[in-house]
Amino acid sequence: MSSADGQVVRAAGVSRRYGEGEAAVDALVGISTEFERGRFTAIMGPSGSGKSTLLHILAGLDQPTSGTVVLDGEEITGLDDGELTKLRRDKLGFVFQFFNLLPVLTAEENLVLPLSIAGRKPDREWLEQLIRTVGLDDRRTHRPSELSGGQQQRVAIARAMVSKPAVVFADEPTGNLDSKASADVLRLLRQAVDEFGQTVIMVTHDPAGAAHADRLITLRDGGLVHDAVPGSTDEVIELMKQID
Amino acid sequence: MTSLAVKSLWARKVRALTTTLAVVIGVAFVAGTYILTDTTFAAFDEIFEDSLAKTSVVIGARDEVEQESGEVPSFGAAVLHRVKRVQGVRAAAGIINTPGGFFDSRGKPIGSRFAPKLIGSNRPPALESITYIEGHKPRDASQASIDEGAAEEAGLELGDTIRLASVERAKSFRLVGIVRLGDASFGGASIAGLTLSEAQRITGKEGEFDQIWVAALDGVSGAELKRRVERVAPPGLLVETAEQNAERNSNQIRDNLGFLRIALLVFAFVALLVGAFLIFNTFSITVAQRVSEFGMLRTLGAGRGQILTSVVVEALLVGLIGALLGLACGFAIAKGLNALFVAVGIDLPTTSLVLKTRTVVVALAIGIGVTLVSSFVPALRSTRVPPIAALQALEVPRSRRRGIAYAALASLLSVAGLAMVLVGLFGGANSGAAAGLMGGGTVAVILGVSLFSPRLVRPLASLAGLPLQRLRGLTGRLARENTQRNPSRTAVTATALMIGLALVAFVTVFAAGIKGSIATAVDDSFQGELVLRNSNGFSPISPGAAAAAREAPGVEIVSTLRATQAKLLGGDGGKPRVSALDRDAGSVLTIDWTEGGPETLRNFADREVILDKSFADGNGFELGDRVRFLTQIGRRPSLRVVGEFEDKADLLGSAVVTHGVMARQFDQRDDLLDFVKLAPGASIDAVQARLTRVIDRDFPTAEVMNQEELKQSQEDQVNQLLGLIYALLALAILVSLFGIANTLALSIHERTREIGMLRAIGMSRRQVRTMVRYEAVITALIGAILGMVLGVVFAALIAQPLKDDGFTLSYPVVTLIMLLVFAAVAGVVAAIGPARRASRLDVLDALHYE
Repeated sequence: MSSADGQVVRAAGVSRRYGEGEAAVDALVGISTEFERGRFTAIMGPSGSGKSTLLHILAGLDQPTSGTVVLDGEEITGLDDGELTKLRRDKLGFVFQFFNLLPVLTAEENLVLPLSIAGRKPDREWLEQLIRTVGLDDRRTHRPSELSGGQQQRVAIARAMVSKPAVVFADEPTGNLDSKASADVLRLLRQAVDEFGQTVIMVTHDPAGAAHADRLITLRDGGLVHDAVPGSTDEVIELMKQID
Repeated sequence: MTSLAVKSLWARKVRALTTTLAVVIGVAFVAGTYILTDTTFAAFDEIFEDSLAKTSVVIGARDEVEQESGEVPSFGAAVLHRVKRVQGVRAAAGIINTPGGFFDSRGKPIGSRFAPKLIGSNRPPALESITYIEGHKPRDASQASIDEGAAEEAGLELGDTIRLASVERAKSFRLVGIVRLGDASFGGASIAGLTLSEAQRITGKEGEFDQIWVAALDGVSGAELKRRVERVAPPGLLVETAEQNAERNSNQIRDNLGFLRIALLVFAFVALLVGAFLIFNTFSITVAQRVSEFGMLRTLGAGRGQILTSVVVEALLVGLIGALLGLACGFAIAKGLNALFVAVGIDLPTTSLVLKTRTVVVALAIGIGVTLVSSFVPALRSTRVPPIAALQALEVPRSRRRGIAYAALASLLSVAGLAMVLVGLFGGANSGAAAGLMGGGTVAVILGVSLFSPRLVRPLASLAGLPLQRLRGLTGRLARENTQRNPSRTAVTATALMIGLALVAFVTVFAAGIKGSIATAVDDSFQGELVLRNSNGFSPISPGAAAAAREAPGVEIVSTLRATQAKLLGGDGGKPRVSALDRDAGSVLTIDWTEGGPETLRNFADREVILDKSFADGNGFELGDRVRFLTQIGRRPSLRVVGEFEDKADLLGSAVVTHGVMARQFDQRDDLLDFVKLAPGASIDAVQARLTRVIDRDFPTAEVMNQEELKQSQEDQVNQLLGLIYALLALAILVSLFGIANTLALSIHERTREIGMLRAIGMSRRQVRTMVRYEAVITALIGAILGMVLGVVFAALIAQPLKDDGFTLSYPVVTLIMLLVFAAVAGVVAAIGPARRASRLDVLDALHYE
C-alpha cells in the first residue's frame, strides 16, 4: 500500500483479445508500463492501436485477457462490480469526450455528483477552489444546456477531481471541442497536475494536447512503440507521422 | 417500407411485446365478455329446449307484470281435464316448478347463494325430459330426486336425506333418484323432484299448477295443437308452443342478464382506453428515438408517405397480432370471469364455450382500430422529420401552436365532459341516455385531464418525490428530475394509471357512502329488534316463518312486509314496487309521514293506498286521488290516496296497500321481511337464539337477524360487489403497469450513456436500481393523485342528486391512503424489469452507446 516509490498505476504484461478463433483481434499485446504520481501522461496512437483499450483497462472499466493492473497499491484486475464501484468512488476520476453531465442538475450539482453518489459531504474550501480554478463561479446554478461545450468539459474535469482521486482518466477530452476551448481544457488539466499534484492519464489524438503532457506513450497494433517526453506540438506531429 | 416495418418491429421484440400486450388484454376482455355471455345464454337456451324436448304446447298463467324476482303466478288445476280431452293430445300434465331451498341432513344449504333452487314435480313418461342416471323417480311423498350437479357438490348419494323448504314447513326426504338434463351445466342452480301432489303441497299450491305441458300425437303440429288448446283455455292463461315458450324464456334471460354483458364491456372498454394510452406513448417514444433513422431514410429519398406507411404498418401489425392473441386469451378471460362470478355466488349455467363470428369480428376490429387510432398522431409526427435529422441529434419538430391548441382542447374537453356528466345527472333524461351522457362525459374529462396533465407533472412529481428525496437524497432527486424531463411522456404514463385508480377511488368513496347510508337507514327506520328475511337477501320467505315467530316466547309483535311489482295505469310503463304492511307496522317501523300519520295506517282499509312522496309528486297524485294499478295476475285495483311518506331507506317502494289487497289483487302471499318487536324485558340474544332454532328447523330459507347483523349483511353485499369491481378494474390497472414498465424501459434506453457515466463516477448497481424504481414510484403516485382527485370529485358530484334519498357521502381516508401505498408498490413492481436492466448495463458499453 506504499506509494513511496511514486508509482500510482502499474500495468504488467497486459494483453486484451476480443473475440475468439480466427476472428480474434488482439487489441493489446503484453503491455508493461508504470505511471508516476503527480504526472500528466498522454497516450497516442493511430485508430485501432489499442490506446482506448489500455485506458479502459487501467481504469478498471475493462478487464485484460492476461496481465495485471495495480492501482494505488491495489490489484484491480479481477475485482467484482461492488469493489470496482468503490474503487471508482475513492480513487478514480473520469473525463469523457462527450461531456456526460446530467442535464437535470446544475453545474455545481454536477460537480459534486461523485460525492453525492457516495453520500459524502464536499469539503467546502476545496469545492470553492475548484470552482474558481475552472472559472465557473458565476455559472454554478446554470444547467448544462446553458453552458458552452468548453464550460461543460471544465465542469466535467472539476467533477473528476472533486473526490481527490488517485488518478484522473481522460478519454479524448478535447475530441468534441473547438481549438480555443480545447486549449482551455488542456491548460486546466496541466494546472491540475502542477497546482494540486493530480495524476492525469489522457488518451488523445490531438498533438497539441499531447504537447501539454509530461510524458507521451505511443501505441501501434497493441504494442508500446514510443515512450518519452513529448516536446513541442510540431515534434509530436513528426513523431506520429513516423509511427503511421 | 412494409418489410422495414416488420423488421423494425422484430428488432425491438420486447418493446413490441409490451405494446402488443396492451392490445391483448383489452381485446381479450371484450372477447371474453362475449364468449362468457354467449355461452351462458346458449346454456340457458339448451336447458329450456332440453326440458321441453317432448313437449309441444305449454300453458301458463298470463304474466301481466314480469317480476324482477322471476316469480310467476300459478293457476287452478281444473283446466287440465279439459286440455286432456282436446283432439291431438297424446298426454298433458300439470307441472310444479317453484323456487325453494335445498339443505343436506345437517341443514347446510345445497347450491350457490344467488342461483335458483327449483322444486319440480314428476312428469309422465310421455313428457319427461330428464334422465335418471341413478335410482328412480319419487314414488311417494317421502321421496325426492336431485340433479347430478347438486348431488356431486353436496356429496349426496341414493338413500341420503335431503331437506326441502318452500311455503310449507321444511321436510326431510329420502333421495331416490339422481337426474340429468341435457349437456349444459346448471351452474349453481339445481332442481329437486317430488311427486306432483307432494310438490303442490310443499309449495303451497294444492289444487294449482305452475304450468301444464302438452305432448301432441304424431302428425299434429305444435302450432295446430296450440290453436286447439287455446279454445278450451280460460282467458287468464297463456298458451304457447314449446318453441315460443323457450324463446320467450330465452329473451327474458337475455333481458335480465343483458346488463351483465354491458357492465363487463364497460370494464373492457376501460382496459382498452388504458391500452390506447400505452400504445400512444410507446409509438411517440419510438418515433422520437428513431428520428435519425427516419432522417437517414429521407436522405436516401424516402417520401413522407413512405415514412408514414412504415409506422402505420408497424401499428397495424401490432394491432393484428394483439387482436389475434387477445381473441385466444378471451377464452381464458371468459373462464376467469366466470370463476370470479362463482366466487361472489353468481354461479351461471355453462356449456361448451361459444365463439360467435361476431366476437371474432369485434375483437379484430377493436384491436386493430384502437392501435391505429392511438398510433396515428405519433405516425404523423414521424413524417415531419427532415433529412438533416440524419446528421444531427434533433428533437422531433413540434408544431408551434401545439401548446396553446392542447391547452384549449384540454379545457374544452374537460368542461364539455363535466357538462355532459351534469346533464346526465340532473337533466332528467331517461336512464339509457343519462348513462350514455355520463359515460361519454367521463371519457371526455379523462382525455381533457390527460391533455392538461403535462403541466401538472412538474408540481405533482415534486410533491410525490419529496419524501423519496428526504429518504434517499440524490437517487430520489434524480428519479424526480427524470420524471420531469419529458413531462408529456410521464403524463401519458401516469394518466393511464389514473383512469383505473380514478374508478377505484370513485367506487370506493361511493360504496362507503352507500354503507353509511344503509347503517343510517336501518338505525332510523327499524324499531324492531329482529328481522326475518331470506338468507339470499331478496327472495320472499314463507308466511309460516312469521306465524312461528308470533308463537315464540318473548316476542310481542311480528309485523310483515310483502312486496311485488305492478304497473301504474296511465303511468310511464315502469314497474313501481308496491308493498303491503300490517296495521301495526307503526310499532316496528319509523315512517316519515308527509301526509297522514300513524293513525292512517292503523285505520288502513282495503280500498286505500299510501304513496311515496316522490312517486306521488312525479305522477301528480294528491290526497283523495284514485290510483289504478295493473297487477301481475291482470287485476286493476283502484285505490284512494290516504297518506304520503318519505322513504329514505327505500324499504316500502312507491306505494303501500293492505295485506288483503296484496293477496287478492296482487297475488303476493309470501313475506319479504318480518319485523319482530320483543316484549319488554326480553333478552334479544335469547329470543334470537330461540327463533333461529325454530326457523332453521321449519323455514330454513329464512334467517333471523338483529339490527347489527342486518347492517353487516348489507355491508357485506356492498363489499362483495366492490370486490368484484376491483377485480374487473385490475386488468385495466395491469395494463397501465405495463405502460409504466414500457415507458421506463424506453427512457432508460435513451439514457444508456448517462447511466454509464453515473456508474463510472461511482454509482453502485443498487443505486441505479433504486433510482429507476423511484422514477416508477413517482410516476405511479402522480397517476394515483390525479386518479383519486378525479374519483372523489366524481363521487361527490354524483352523490348530489342522491342526497334527497338519504345518501350521505363519507370519505374513506384510510382506504384512499392505502390506495396511494398500493400505487407506490405497483410502481415498484412495474420497475422490476427496467431497474434490473439498467443496473446490469456494462459501464464501458453504456459509455460508448450511441
